[in-house]
Amino acid sequence: MAKQLLSCTVNGEAVEVLVQPYVNLLDALRENLGLTGPKEGCGTGDCGACTVHVDGKVVASCLMLAMQARGRKVRTIEGLAAADTTLHPLQEAFVRHGVPQCGFCIPGVLMAATALLEENPRPSQEEIRYGIAGNLCRCTGYTAMVAAISEAAETLASQRSAR
Amino acid sequence: MSTMKTTRDVKGVGISIPRPDGPEKVTGRVQYVADIQPKGLLHAKLLRSPHAHAKIVSIDTSAAKALPGVRAVITAKDIPHLKKKAPTRAHAVLAIDRVVFMGQPVAAVAADEPSIAEEALDLIKVEYQVLAASIDPLKAMLPGAPPVADAGTEADTSEALAHSAVAIAKSDTPAKAVNISQQARLQRGDPAEGFAQSDHILEKTYRVPMVHQGYLEPHAVLAEWDRNGLLTLWASTQGSFNTRSEVADVLGIPENSIRVIPVECGGGFGGKIRALCEPITAVLAQVTKRPVRYVMTRREELQAGMPAPQVIIKLKTGVKRDGTLMALDAETVIDSGAYSGAVLAVSAVFLGSMYKWPAFDIRGFEVLTHKPSVAAYRAPVAPQTIFAIESQMEQIARDLDLDSVEFRMRHLIQEGDPMVNGQPWQNNGAKQVLSRIAEHPHWKTRKQWVAAGKDGKRRGVGLALGGWLGGLQPTGATVRLNPDGSLAVLTGQVDIAGTNIALAQIAASAYGVDTDLVRITTGDTDVAPMTGLSAGSKTIYTVGAAVLQAAEDARRQTFEIAAKELEASIHDLELVDGKVTVRGMPDKGITLATIGKKGNLYMSKTPPVLGKANPAFSQQAPGFAAQLARLELDPDTGEVTLHDFVVVQDVGKAINPIGVEGQMQGGAVQSLGMALTEGLIFDDSGRLTNPSLLDYRKLTAADLPNLETIIVEVPAPAGPFGARGVGEPPIIPAPAAIANALQDATGLRLTELPLHPERIALALANGAAKAP
Repeated sequence: MAKQLLSCTVNGEAVEVLVQPYVNLLDALRENLGLTGPKEGCGTGDCGACTVHVDGKVVASCLMLAMQARGRKVRTIEGLAAADTTLHPLQEAFVRHGVPQCGFCIPGVLMAATALLEENPRPSQEEIRYGIAGNLCRCTGYTAMVAAISEAAETLASQRSAR
Repeated sequence: MSTMKTTRDVKGVGISIPRPDGPEKVTGRVQYVADIQPKGLLHAKLLRSPHAHAKIVSIDTSAAKALPGVRAVITAKDIPHLKKKAPTRAHAVLAIDRVVFMGQPVAAVAADEPSIAEEALDLIKVEYQVLAASIDPLKAMLPGAPPVADAGTEADTSEALAHSAVAIAKSDTPAKAVNISQQARLQRGDPAEGFAQSDHILEKTYRVPMVHQGYLEPHAVLAEWDRNGLLTLWASTQGSFNTRSEVADVLGIPENSIRVIPVECGGGFGGKIRALCEPITAVLAQVTKRPVRYVMTRREELQAGMPAPQVIIKLKTGVKRDGTLMALDAETVIDSGAYSGAVLAVSAVFLGSMYKWPAFDIRGFEVLTHKPSVAAYRAPVAPQTIFAIESQMEQIARDLDLDSVEFRMRHLIQEGDPMVNGQPWQNNGAKQVLSRIAEHPHWKTRKQWVAAGKDGKRRGVGLALGGWLGGLQPTGATVRLNPDGSLAVLTGQVDIAGTNIALAQIAASAYGVDTDLVRITTGDTDVAPMTGLSAGSKTIYTVGAAVLQAAEDARRQTFEIAAKELEASIHDLELVDGKVTVRGMPDKGITLATIGKKGNLYMSKTPPVLGKANPAFSQQAPGFAAQLARLELDPDTGEVTLHDFVVVQDVGKAINPIGVEGQMQGGAVQSLGMALTEGLIFDDSGRLTNPSLLDYRKLTAADLPNLETIIVEVPAPAGPFGARGVGEPPIIPAPAAIANALQDATGLRLTELPLHPERIALALANGAAKAP
């Protein structure tokens, strides 16, 4: 099959890449663009390890064809920290709470949590738990994860009010 | 050398320190096997059997080989040294003339792209002659059942030895039925007499299905050969030296021609102990002379991984009216799938050893079936066993109207009591964790909390106790003093549980510097001291002791150099703030940096400081945990809402409390999944009916409350700073705690996991749990 030209924005930068029409967004990000932060844990949209944002919405990148991202804005875990490498408050809270154990689910969880806080800046514990319910984690039991997201929401809120 | 130490006055043992790999993990920069992109990489795929048991009549690979982009298609015929009587799953690289479980690899392809390899699989023609299969382990035990193993295949007990370091006498009577691969029997006293004198006899059969370890990263390996015949494997493994030994044995090549580089392991939990796809990937790399990567799909993981075994435990207990234990009769059947390798001993030990039964007859059978063979899963067979005995103990207490904690406490073992195998129990905190949970407000107020249920919901509170004997294995570590006064610690131990930061803390406290001056490296099999698996809750207990001793050795060497430089007695020296000084004379000193530099100066006569230790161990340190569940049940739907879950665990000494709590929470949630939702369901033909994470339901954040963790510290006499193993105990009691809470809520004793809404609703509709 002839490859097609995918033009989109990834982590703020315009990219053009040739992909097979049957390739999913996850493989295009990982294989063609070298962004291996998003992981394949199941390939069927059940585990959330491949979670990225497309136009600000949470997407399981294993379930979306790469060509469907044409002209859209894709954000991966590699685009979460600031350009000067300062960690996002969510990332910072995850580190301090010792959330990452094996770490394989973490990029997906962080993208889901980022989208949650962008939509709902002050979520309750229950809203946090539902916000990351699409992301399986086998190491942490989620308790430290929920605490870290809750704390990051506070940090972001105080940053906003300081501005 | 004793490893029980008081911590020095440095930022070391006992302080919560987040893992140093955190920033790399939250930015997605950590590389797992699937993230490594070598030049010329080929992708492997395996053609797997669609039948649980069949004869392979013919395989035609010609069309697959002709597909552009395909670099190799191989079958068993292309691997001449394959043994027909595969002693382990790893040895059955590709099926030779018979497949023994659905999903067994039959042919392998390496191609330029994964999609080309997949297309090639479709072009391989295999003719099978389907044979009758043994699926149900109880039927597989019967004479005349379709045989699984080739005649003469021996039991594989290596995992039992590696994991739990527990041995029981093998039964004298040889296995008669064709599919019984291991059996054991342990007896004491006169059970018949004990039952005759009992006032209360309870018979129950407990069933736990196969469950998957559930690591998020599927099995993955990258293999490449160089022109000298050196094979390098980048592996997601829990033990690089074990992987090297297994691959060397399967491929028939020297260990010295294999280098295993342990790549960040995206979860293992016992499932990444044994070699699985490493040998076939190595063969494909050898044939193609290119780097080859194989990554299992989730479907392959569920259908043909190495899950925890199905376990069926038949219990009969006899007690006096006042609760005096009289006799225990137990029979455990462990469905090991198509290859031997289950940890049979753990079940026998924990059925009969946690409480003091004066008379018992415990029989255990490992049975082969035409299903994927099993492997360890965090405290292998312990949650299943504790589900049985702790459900039974609770039921006895309720039947006799005894306080369930007092009843347990009265019969609970302590140090020195004999286990069922005659070995004495080592020092442990079983009583301490049970009393601690009994003091918890959730337990003390359980009656009020249950009575406060409303809207037709039923509430229940339950608890359970469980333990793990603690693994042992020789190991080694080195501690090097750098020219700037910092320390470099080297082990070969794979960090699957946050152990490296805890080992760094141990080195810091033993040497006498702050942890931020210690960097720890997990070396590959070419460079690291030999070490065992990261399994059996033994990394901190054994490797921690090695690091502690190596750090003390390094400290001694440092002090010897300082004594010479300062012209002082070694006994008068102390190490404060990175400087060795003569006690009472703070101006007379030499910095660690100076000592470190002298060890790496041209023409210097000062030896570089290199502490080392390679201890072998004999004393185990059992770890106990007690857990409590408060839950609410919707009697119409059978849906359970877990309101609270408390984990109390004796860890000896919490080297890094934040890491210990993470282990306690994660372990508990894994077995809450086993209790409530998880189970691999096979149909009568051996086909897995739920091969996706949609149907194999793991618990999500929305299913769970915050978990409360309570650390108890009963120092282990031989543990580093008193530490015990932490990883396994928290996965053990939860299924029993949930079943006991459900009984509190419903009055029903449910004996089959998982306790999903359908099962609970049906049991409620039937008015009683039907299973005997």
